[in-house]
Amino acid sequence: MNQDLKKPIFSSYINNTNLFDEVFDPNGIAKNVYQKLFELYGNHSIQDYVQLNNKAKSSFFNQGITFQVYENKETQEKIFPFDLFPRIIDEDEWEIIEKGSIQRSKALNLFLWDVYHDKKIIKDGVVPLDLISSSANYLHQMIGVDPPGGIYNHISGTDIIKHSDGNYYVLEDNIRCPSGVSYVICNRTALKRALFGVFNHYKTHSVTNYAENLLEILESVKPKGVDVPNCVVLTPGMYNSAFYEHSYLAKAMGVELVEGRDLFVENDFVYMKTISGPIKVDVIYRRVDDQYLDPLEFKPDSALGVPGLFTAYKKGNVCLANAPGTGVADDKAIYTYMPEIIKYYLDESPILNNVHTYHCSRPDELKYVLEHIQELVIKPVDEAGGYGISIGNRLTKEEIKVVQEEIKQSPRKYIAQPIMSLSVHPTYIDDTESFEQRHVDLRTFTLLGDKKEFVLKGGLSRVALKRGNLIVNSSQGGGSKDTWVLKK
Amino acid sequence: MLARVANNLFWMGRYIERAEHIARYLNVNYFSSLDAPNELSQSRQFVLQSMMFMVGEPVKDNTIILNEEEILYNIGLNPNIPYSIINHVKFARENANSARDLISTELYESINKFYHFVINYSIEDFTKKGLYDFTVNVTEMTAILRGKIRGTLLHDEVYAIIMLGINLERATQVIRIINAKYNDAVKAKGSYGDKIGHSFEWITLLKCVESYDMMRRFYKKTPTSISTLEFLILNPDCPRSVINSINQVHKHIRVLDESKAPNKNSTAFLISKVKGEYEFKFAEEIEEDIQSFIEKILHNLLQISVKMEKEFFNY
Amino acid sequence: MSFEYSVTYNTENDYENPVENASWQFLIVPENNDTQELVGIEIENSLGAKNEFSQNGYGFQTIRINTQEQFQKLNFRATFILKKTSLNPFGQVPIFNILDNYELAQSLDFKVDFEQFLGQTKFTTLPQDSKNLFVFDTTLSIFDNLQKLNNWVYFYIHFNTGVTHVNTLLEEIINNRAGVCQDFTHLFCALARANNIPARYVSGYLHQGNGYFGDAQMHAWAEVYVPQIGWMGFDPTNNILVDDNHLKVAHGKDFKDCSPLKGVVYSQGDNKTVHSVEVQAQQ
Repeated sequence: MNQDLKKPIFSSYINNTNLFDEVFDPNGIAKNVYQKLFELYGNHSIQDYVQLNNKAKSSFFNQGITFQVYENKETQEKIFPFDLFPRIIDEDEWEIIEKGSIQRSKALNLFLWDVYHDKKIIKDGVVPLDLISSSANYLHQMIGVDPPGGIYNHISGTDIIKHSDGNYYVLEDNIRCPSGVSYVICNRTALKRALFGVFNHYKTHSVTNYAENLLEILESVKPKGVDVPNCVVLTPGMYNSAFYEHSYLAKAMGVELVEGRDLFVENDFVYMKTISGPIKVDVIYRRVDDQYLDPLEFKPDSALGVPGLFTAYKKGNVCLANAPGTGVADDKAIYTYMPEIIKYYLDESPILNNVHTYHCSRPDELKYVLEHIQELVIKPVDEAGGYGISIGNRLTKEEIKVVQEEIKQSPRKYIAQPIMSLSVHPTYIDDTESFEQRHVDLRTFTLLGDKKEFVLKGGLSRVALKRGNLIVNSSQGGGSKDTWVLKK
Repeated sequence: MLARVANNLFWMGRYIERAEHIARYLNVNYFSSLDAPNELSQSRQFVLQSMMFMVGEPVKDNTIILNEEEILYNIGLNPNIPYSIINHVKFARENANSARDLISTELYESINKFYHFVINYSIEDFTKKGLYDFTVNVTEMTAILRGKIRGTLLHDEVYAIIMLGINLERATQVIRIINAKYNDAVKAKGSYGDKIGHSFEWITLLKCVESYDMMRRFYKKTPTSISTLEFLILNPDCPRSVINSINQVHKHIRVLDESKAPNKNSTAFLISKVKGEYEFKFAEEIEEDIQSFIEKILHNLLQISVKMEKEFFNY
Repeated sequence: MSFEYSVTYNTENDYENPVENASWQFLIVPENNDTQELVGIEIENSLGAKNEFSQNGYGFQTIRINTQEQFQKLNFRATFILKKTSLNPFGQVPIFNILDNYELAQSLDFKVDFEQFLGQTKFTTLPQDSKNLFVFDTTLSIFDNLQKLNNWVYFYIHFNTGVTHVNTLLEEIINNRAGVCQDFTHLFCALARANNIPARYVSGYLHQGNGYFGDAQMHAWAEVYVPQIGWMGFDPTNNILVDDNHLKVAHGKDFKDCSPLKGVVYSQGDNKTVHSVEVQAQQ
């Protein structure tokens, strides 16, 4: 057996001081909030840790908290990789994150109301008309529709990083169907089981109240005239990669998990088919994209949707969360206007920073981007999941040329940002059997309802498991960590 | 409850039960044949043919020599064969997946473990030396599943639907096993001059449905065709008997259909009718023409299943 | 003066294999507006399924049919009785200050308000080399230019059925210079929008008593927003302004928003659909 496995877990940790390490200061001393964890944890051997880690992994596997990977025509089930060494956020920093997340969600909601009604922000010249007229996610069918409670983005996921300057920056607002919240809860469960001895030395906020808050939010946007709304979760089905999350949320809220084929529309009301006949549905937390919601209104070949659902929604007989057409506001081009959008609707300064963004659609900025690709991250504006991203300093000369050509071909499709140095967190790496620094971000989950708002005190810390990698998405080989938000 | 999900739960129950009976049939027949009292019952070909008969693929041509490893692989672990145990377990889990929000985490975890056990079982081990280990594990895991179903689910309509699936399938499988062993007994009869009524195969039959010990306790005699049929079909206290399963079905359908006098086109009405018919049967009458009895009862069970589908699972 | 029209819409759908479950949406009901009033509707379908009134995503009235019964053939017939007020299309054209007119169309507010009908869609995207097929003469008023455009499209495309189909794009239409009302209308809308004038696709029925083009199908024309006037109808297939022979059903960005029949049918195999329309004037 490898003798190193008997050594304390951090004995071979290399603290690269060029990176912003959230746990250790440049002298290798654990920072304040981590001190206790370090005392309790630091004496464990790698071997102890591996044992705990494996147990936790098999518990995930047995519970079927997995996603499918297709390799050589065979489907394989894999657990979402996670790391038992938690991330801790103290109460002061959390307050900034929480307030900032709510501020963004509210501003985006007001923005959505505006672009589907009077479009004042465009007429006032604050954001260009192009943002909606060239967006594939802007639905003309939504013009003039008043969603219940005036809410469009009931559920938002905000991706936040800690930069080497120690400040938090928002990378992305996800307001279509952001996923990941079930992992937050599963990570916590696994961590509590494995590290109960450490856990009770910290006053950590619970994360299990997400479902009850989600249900309250959904009930708050019930259609007019409904007393006790019947809420359901609409899933594309069990072959969807996020199916576990859909079933978890339905179960935790105690509502039905339905597929499109379980629903039908009659006289513009929505019903589900049960063993005792049709039952009316009032609020749908849908995890199906806009284009698949209603084959009569959108993609005609969608088998995931419900014919007539959109009209039922438009008539106010059912509420959809998030509202159709919300995607127009999570376009990466909109992101770049967030400071202006917050100022315009809330008359506030942004609490969370935006990363400076260059619009390739603007000639002068395009010129800068083409000349400085090596210092920039180039992102397509309409891709999700970390696809199509080029990181300038990783490209060869030939690759740079290709990227330059692509940008010149369709400048509107690209934005560029300075390469942000994400903070790093000690993460156990299987291959080297030791802890190493890995880049990490944080997705927060914000709920917006009629006179109610909620931010889950925790969130999904996503880790890029490949050394030096900055892309943390699970589709790109990312893992996750439990995130502890400390109580005051 | 959603009609589609109800359908899935019903079939989850059926597949779990089916996997169990097939596994036990393989186990009991294979191992009891090793020291059977006569040559034919000991013969590998005889046992393999019996297995194929039970899964519904009878070998009509007696001159075909069956390959043991191939037959065991097909019935146990071949993912391309519809009647294989591995497929039943896959389907059971798939059905559980889609109803995951309705069943307990504990039940789901057990199904999931069961699934991983089966799909990861080495084919090499299974066909060469693992038959006993594999089949015993399958039957034990299904017992755990029944325990979790009973012990961790609310006894409401979800439970009723799963139990309807389990009991309809149990009745069906027990009948199929009776059919297969009866067929074996007929074949064995010619070879050693024994009377069919006292065939060794009746003991195997009882063991195949885990009822041998209790049968001995009840009759205190060596099983005969009459006593075996009576016990496995008509004894309401025998947990594997057909009438016991029908009684269970009758009990659970009342959860879904609470009307005092069910409509004559309803599933509940049909079940009551079938139940009434078998309550007043006697074993001698069955033995007279066992073949048509088997066909008739399989038909009745199918009718019930089809009717349920129409009445409750239509989506 | 007012006329009464009776419009009959008829469709027969044959499916190769039995259909188990289906929904259809018909966008064929004439709208109520300043010049037309729907006074009677009669609908029947061969399945005996319920005819449900609803609306599409843009608020136009639809008829929807759902069925769970198995079938292979659906016949559907609807008859509408409509009162139409006579209008003189030139009656509403005031005298313009040409400059104001263009200035208005160039303002941000105007562009924002009419964004929906100024953008390109799949069916109204001009090929790169055809962007300047018809350029407005800014010494003339917008209205005059639109009339010229109407005339230009009418002569550019040859009315010919069977050359194009419902999914034909502008590139092919411009190259072949042949098509039906849908194609005339798409080209008209695309060129109006290329000149910054909001244009929308209109579907409806045409009373052919005067020998107008359009066959025994639904008709299509365009409405454009002329600053200081409002929405005006142009029928490039017939080189006329829309008049009391045009019975409007719905409008949208292009044909896709106005498709008279949308079906969600769970079945394999082919199907055949035949539509026919009959418009009769009653005095």
